[in-house]
Amino acid sequence: MPLLEVKNLDVSFGLRSGEIKALRNINFTLERGERLGLVGESGAGKSVLGFSILNLIAKPGRISAGEIYFEGRNLAELSPEELRSVRGNRISMIFQDPMMTLNPVLTIGQQMIECLQAHRKINKDNARTIAVQKLKQVQIPSPETRIDQYPHELSGGMRQRVVIAIGLLMDPDIIIADEPTTALDVTIQAEIMELMVELCERNNVALILITHDLGVVSQVTQKALVMYAGRVIEQGPTREIINDAQHPYTQGLMNALPQMAIPGQRLNQIRGAMPGLQSIPTGCAFNPRCDYVVEACTKQLPGYTVSGNCQVACHMVADMKKAQQAPEEVSS
Amino acid sequence: MTMSIQNKPTPVAPEKAPNAWQRFKETHVWHSFLKDRVAQLSFTIFMGYVLMALFAPMIAPFDPYDATQMDIMNSELPPSWNEDEGDPQFWLGTDAQGRDLWSTILYGTRISLTIGICAVLLQATIGIIIGLIAGYRGGRVDSILMRFADVQLSFSTMMVAIVVLAIFQASFGTALYQDLAMIMLVLVIGIAEWPQYARTIRASVLAEKRKEYVDAARVMGLGQIRIMFRHILPNTLSPILVISTVQVANAIISEASLSFLGLGMPVSQPSLGSLISSGFEYIFSGAWWITVIPGLVLIVLVLVMNLLGDWLRDVLNPKLYKG
Repeated sequence: MPLLEVKNLDVSFGLRSGEIKALRNINFTLERGERLGLVGESGAGKSVLGFSILNLIAKPGRISAGEIYFEGRNLAELSPEELRSVRGNRISMIFQDPMMTLNPVLTIGQQMIECLQAHRKINKDNARTIAVQKLKQVQIPSPETRIDQYPHELSGGMRQRVVIAIGLLMDPDIIIADEPTTALDVTIQAEIMELMVELCERNNVALILITHDLGVVSQVTQKALVMYAGRVIEQGPTREIINDAQHPYTQGLMNALPQMAIPGQRLNQIRGAMPGLQSIPTGCAFNPRCDYVVEACTKQLPGYTVSGNCQVACHMVADMKKAQQAPEEVSS
Repeated sequence: MTMSIQNKPTPVAPEKAPNAWQRFKETHVWHSFLKDRVAQLSFTIFMGYVLMALFAPMIAPFDPYDATQMDIMNSELPPSWNEDEGDPQFWLGTDAQGRDLWSTILYGTRISLTIGICAVLLQATIGIIIGLIAGYRGGRVDSILMRFADVQLSFSTMMVAIVVLAIFQASFGTALYQDLAMIMLVLVIGIAEWPQYARTIRASVLAEKRKEYVDAARVMGLGQIRIMFRHILPNTLSPILVISTVQVANAIISEASLSFLGLGMPVSQPSLGSLISSGFEYIFSGAWWITVIPGLVLIVLVLVMNLLGDWLRDVLNPKLYKG
């Protein structure tokens, strides 16, 4: 049994103008200690997926269909108390901006001790010892003095380390990291990413990494999900997706990397912009921007085609495969 | 140069965690207090009032509640600087019953401040709880609670107080009323003004709850009540502090007005308001001091509190330009 299994998950937001589907038919599994990357443009539904795993979608959003099994229990059906015992305890989350995620009026120690006491019967001194130990694990110098400081007394990188320490506090099984390095400067980004991977490996924690940085995904994760307009359009082992992207959208993302551009020329880009959730075109949501579009793309939602170890939602995958292989067959 | 070579490296002082007072001296509030003359003066005067109220029994030469110390022959004596008629025993003169005005003012300040502060504590408690819940839960709960607040605000404080206190006096008699006057005043003023707090707090909770640290707290698996009171409430403290100073001043004025109308503290236990009221009858017979001196004391108290409130608002809200 996988540690986490998401099955046919739909998330919708009930607005006055009607119901909007933010996530459609999401399926994936996560094993213990595995690292999964969620990739996509802004607004693709990455963060909503992260929050819906904890069943913490802000109103008026709700899980409208599907199941999220964590150790065999369906998180979508747990009572609020049972959910609270999972949140922060078995599954924890790390946010984008460490400036915002720490409460400015409480010391770091108070916030860590509070989290420990919410989940365990433990006295203040023991909780403090654990907190100091976790701060040491994330390589914060002199944690005994840092623990009594307020968030504004720390630098950005330091704060994100504290946030990671809070995430690790209860020795969770899964950490969901929502763009954990976007708000940091580049040199610190690498440090923090390395630290996270190391800690996850050492403690056998599974990591769900939400990001739009394909470079980070390729270095850190074993599995990747590429999302577009609320749907997973390609998923499979990270290496296969990076080396041999099947979906035209994933290919476009890869081509858009600065390394792929010819020096002196404009960067490659995917033309157009992602549609809003209210105006998703019929058929494949990507069809207005796609170079390979055929009639079927505008009429029918593509199902998943298996290609190698990947699943791809595109009508043209089979044809493109043939087109790639055809010249080779001729030459051989 | 030689000096510096001979100098031993200064031993590094062991780093001690600064205590609360040392930390306070580093704050913006303290620095702006040091620069602001008005705030310093207001604070000094206010502390003077507080000390007067606290130590009234020790400072006052007479006990105004003790009928045996009163002598009707001493009634309506002018302040002692009036050498013809004044008695050096009573430096601010006496009231119509022959009580020493200085002692009575001391005790009156004590009562006025107590009622003001207690009423505001009550207002704050009700207002904070309702405002927090309304802001945090939102939706229907918010609408219902805020409509309550609107209804409450549409009755003026004075009207509610007059109706409630008059009914109480009529139905339970004046004797019981005199015993319970202070508690009744606190309750009435406290309950009539809670929407001020509820609205202010709801507004700041609405802003605070969108911040990521609230999401982070929910992700940590903390309960709603904990998030509301421990995480959001401390972040809304600055508006609470500011309206508190203004509200204490308002409550003192409300109490004085009610006492002036005969619905407040009884004459046997006068507050500043009932002193002003009791002297009012004699003002045309020339005994101005019974009304004017407590009146000045009241005005200065309220002015000082409002000035402190203004200063606090400027300090805690740096975005606000001073006009």
